[in-house]
Formats: sequence, structure tokens, C-alpha cells
Amino acid sequence: MPRFDIPARIIEQIQLVHGIFLLTVKAPAILESAGPGQFCMLEVKYHNSRDPLLRRPLSIYKTLANGRISFLYKEVGKGTRLLSKRCPGEIVRILGPLGQGFRLVRDRPCILVGGGLGIASLLLLAERIKQSGKLIILLGAGNASEIPTIEDFSRLTRDFHIATEDGSLGQKGMVTDLLAQTLQKIKGMAQIYTCGPWPMMKAVYYMARNKNIPCQVSLEATMACGIGLCLGCAVPRSDSQGFLHVCREGPVFDADQVNWEYSQ
Amino acid sequence: MINKSPNLSIKIGSLILKNPVLLASGTCGYGAELSDLLDLDRLGGIIVKGISIRPRAGNPPPRLMETPCGLLNSIGLENVGIDIFLRDKLPWLRNVKTSLIVNILGNSVEEYAEIAKKLDGAEGVNAIEVNISCPNVKTGGIAFGTDPEAAANVTHAVKKTTGLPVIIKLSPNVTDITEVARKVASAGADAISLINTLLGMAIDIKSRRPALANVFGGLSGPAIKPIALRMVWQVVRAVDIPVIGIGGISTPDDALEFLMAGAKAVEIGTATLIRPDTAEDVLAGIRDYMKANSIQNVEDMRLSA
Repeated sequence: MPRFDIPARIIEQIQLVHGIFLLTVKAPAILESAGPGQFCMLEVKYHNSRDPLLRRPLSIYKTLANGRISFLYKEVGKGTRLLSKRCPGEIVRILGPLGQGFRLVRDRPCILVGGGLGIASLLLLAERIKQSGKLIILLGAGNASEIPTIEDFSRLTRDFHIATEDGSLGQKGMVTDLLAQTLQKIKGMAQIYTCGPWPMMKAVYYMARNKNIPCQVSLEATMACGIGLCLGCAVPRSDSQGFLHVCREGPVFDADQVNWEYSQ
Repeated sequence: MINKSPNLSIKIGSLILKNPVLLASGTCGYGAELSDLLDLDRLGGIIVKGISIRPRAGNPPPRLMETPCGLLNSIGLENVGIDIFLRDKLPWLRNVKTSLIVNILGNSVEEYAEIAKKLDGAEGVNAIEVNISCPNVKTGGIAFGTDPEAAANVTHAVKKTTGLPVIIKLSPNVTDITEVARKVASAGADAISLINTLLGMAIDIKSRRPALANVFGGLSGPAIKPIALRMVWQVVRAVDIPVIGIGGISTPDDALEFLMAGAKAVEIGTATLIRPDTAEDVLAGIRDYMKANSIQNVEDMRLSA
């Protein structure tokens, strides 16, 4: 699919809760070829500033009418802090859509497992699955404020469940508890898609493997280019044959390709 | 004002480049990765990712760390190896209408020579850039770049096995870069390119561990430009062979500084990672500057000092 490096106008920048932002830009060309699970590299620096030097990779969260796309992101450092200060009307340079996204499976129930801001890469996928098959959504976070866009997901399926570690929303506990309950009820084949913190995805993968359920994961990594030039975003392969590159072969992988015992 | 459009072509040994703007090794893959985001045909040349005799997996992650105006990396020379390069990558590159320079690296003098030999008859390869300066691997690479005698031995061995123009890429991680430059020049190098990355490190104070799995990495980006420029200036005045400037070039102004320091050409590296079409922008800016200042030949840019 074609990709573009274009100046995009900021339509909206909303702080949903403290430190979590929803950025909406106008980028019709990118929207046109974007698929679920793909990401973009966003320039966060002002004009000719050389600091921060690198763009930031963000999942495409939502696509809207009139060529608008949204990114859901958390302020985690200098780059995302600068991005959060950008205002409607300003231009942000965006390269995308990038990477290999989720591969859709139509013949079985699909279980989406999202942890924290990992949900940012799952919404487009959820919307796509809803069109053609059975959709189960399981979300988890430390507390309710860490997932400020629940309605985007809960409106898509009745089979929507949430867990928070402090019990401030949904079931008290981990999203993997929800997954265990769901897997008990599943008869026959299923497909798992997951994105979230590494330990969560690792636990999800092992649960999936125990039940012989295929699992696709969306990984995150520090990136410089996002397009396979620098080879910086390496993740060890499970077959010990070197490394996967999150930007090029990913960010979505079959979970059994990844060496989950490697700690970052 | 001069009405003729300025002459941007330059000569590196027997190699004629249509303009002095090249893509640096390790930041442009094997070309195909960014061909839809940048018009490769317009550039002076492309220097593909360093190739070793056998495929290399590279270093474990984390491999990258951003620093103020800079980037630390320890990729560890991950590459497909010479045989797969010749079979899978070179055919595509032959269709690109720009000079193709292949960056090579080895663990021994013999390995460098062996790769050079395999490239010698390869259709579409216009020159070889010899990497004796990677700071991220334990053997080879920088071991040759920091020892003037070893650098000369590699140069000599590569020159003996190939008729292609040979560019030696120098490391800045030495006390006196002119000493290495003089040695490789007298060993027969057709040109010198510099600088490779500067050895550096960062520590993650949250995890209390080095930020890179390899502990040390190579620093690139705008942060290193003044050092690179100073070294290019020194080497230009120490040797009689052409010098190619590398180090933090991300704007036309940056490139013009290197050309004024006496570099015949420049390589765009880290800037391509951030904006893939930087090299085109740099080229356009050089052309505009020449027109505005009535400079007919790009080679006339060098300052006399």
C-alpha cells in the first residue's frame, strides 16, 4: 500500500485525562491506505529545532469522516510532551501508514485483549471484525482513568469486559483473568489479538498457546526511522535466527515468532 | 549572474558522480526501502548498508537511544551478507540511475579482500566504501580504523583485489585522524570518507542500567557536526585524495559548510531516518546557493585557507 510523508493540519488536541491525549489531524492520503494495526511517525519538534531529533511512532487509533485520523497517546517523555502542546491549526508532519497490521480472520470468534494504552492499536481492528464476525473485547488497566475511551469499544459489542487492578471499573483484577474466563466458555476455534505491556502480552500468548489458539500481537519499540532503514527496533525471534524488526515485519506479529523470555 | 545552470558533478578517483549528495551507509537500507519517499535517481549516489562475508544478526536490543540533537545506536552491523546482497538486492539497485557504492566490512584483512573480490565483477557496482570504523562490534570494524598500520593493510588488500574506486571510511575515535588518513592515502585509497559515529553511551537512571544492551554505541546526528567538520577540514589539508564529508548533515547549510571545508561530496545519514527526502532538499539548497552566489562549479566551493 502507498505511504506518504505529508504535513497534516491539527484539527483537535484533547487531554482526555491527565497525561492522555487524543490528537486528530487531517490526512486523507494516509487514511485512504491505512489498515488496522498500522502506525505513523509523527514529527514532534518545532520547525527547525533539532531536539528532539526523532519522530515518534503512534498507532492509528481512529479514522473519521473528511480525511481525519486520530492518535491516542500518553505523555511519556519529552517528545510526547511537545506533541501534546501542539494546537489546532498547526501543522505536524506525518509519515504513514507504516508496518504490517493485523491480519483478519473471519471464520471464528475474535478476542481482543488490550492493556492500558495498548488499546490504541485495537480500535480499527475491532470495528473491522464487527462487520463480519463475532467480537469479544477484554480491556485491562491499573485504574479506570488509564482507559479514557471505553465507549469507543463498549459500543461495538455486548461481549465487552473490563478489569482494573484497583477495581475502580469492571472486575477487580487483571485482563488475563477475563481472558481465562472467556477461554473457558469458548468451544471450538478462536483468534486472539493483543496489545499492551510486554508482561501482559506474554501472559496472553502463553494462555493462547495452551489452548492452541492463534495469537497476533502488536509490539512497541524505540524507533528512529519507522521504515526499515536503521534496524534499531529489533526484537529477538523465537527460533533464535536473529531479530524481527517492529517497524518493518511488524508491528503486528504472530506471537509465536517472538522470544517472550527476552526481557527488555 | 551566470545563466548556465551550475555544474554539480564531481570526480572521486575514476568515479564521476552527477552531484555531491550521497546517502550514507546504514541509513538508507539497500535503497528499495525508501524509494517511494525519495527520488534516488536525482542523487549523486547511494551507499548501501555495510555488507559482510556472511550474514550478521546484529546486536541484541535495545539498540537505540535518543540524546540531545543526537542518536546513539548499536545495531551491530546487521546485514544479509555478500551472497544474498548480490542475488537479492543488487538486481533492483541496477535500475536506479545513480552511482552505487557498496560499503563493506570484515573481521580480517582477508575477509575485506574476499568481499571486494566478489564485488569487483558485479554489474552495477560503481565503487566500494570500506568500513574500518564501526564502533559497535568487538572484532573487525574499528579495530582497523584506530590502528594506522592495520588501516593501511586493509586498504592495500582491497585495492589489490578490485579495480573499483576504493573509499576508506574513517573513525573519529582516534587521537589524530590525519595520521590514519595519510596512511590509507599512501596505501592507495582513491578517497576518504569521514566521520563514522563517535563512541558514546547513555544510562537509564530508572532501571539503573546502560541504555543500550551493548553498553556503548555510536553517536550520530546534528550533535556531532562541528567535530565532523573540523576533522574533514584537517583531513582535506593532510591528503591529496578526495574527501567525502559525513556527520550530522541535515540541511543545505550544513552541507555547504562541509563543501567549503574542502569535502568533494557529502553523505546524508541520520537525517534520512527522520525525513527520508532530506538528501533531495540538501541538493536543491546547494544548487540554489550556487546560483545565488554565481558559483559555476561545486568544486570551487572550497575555502582557500
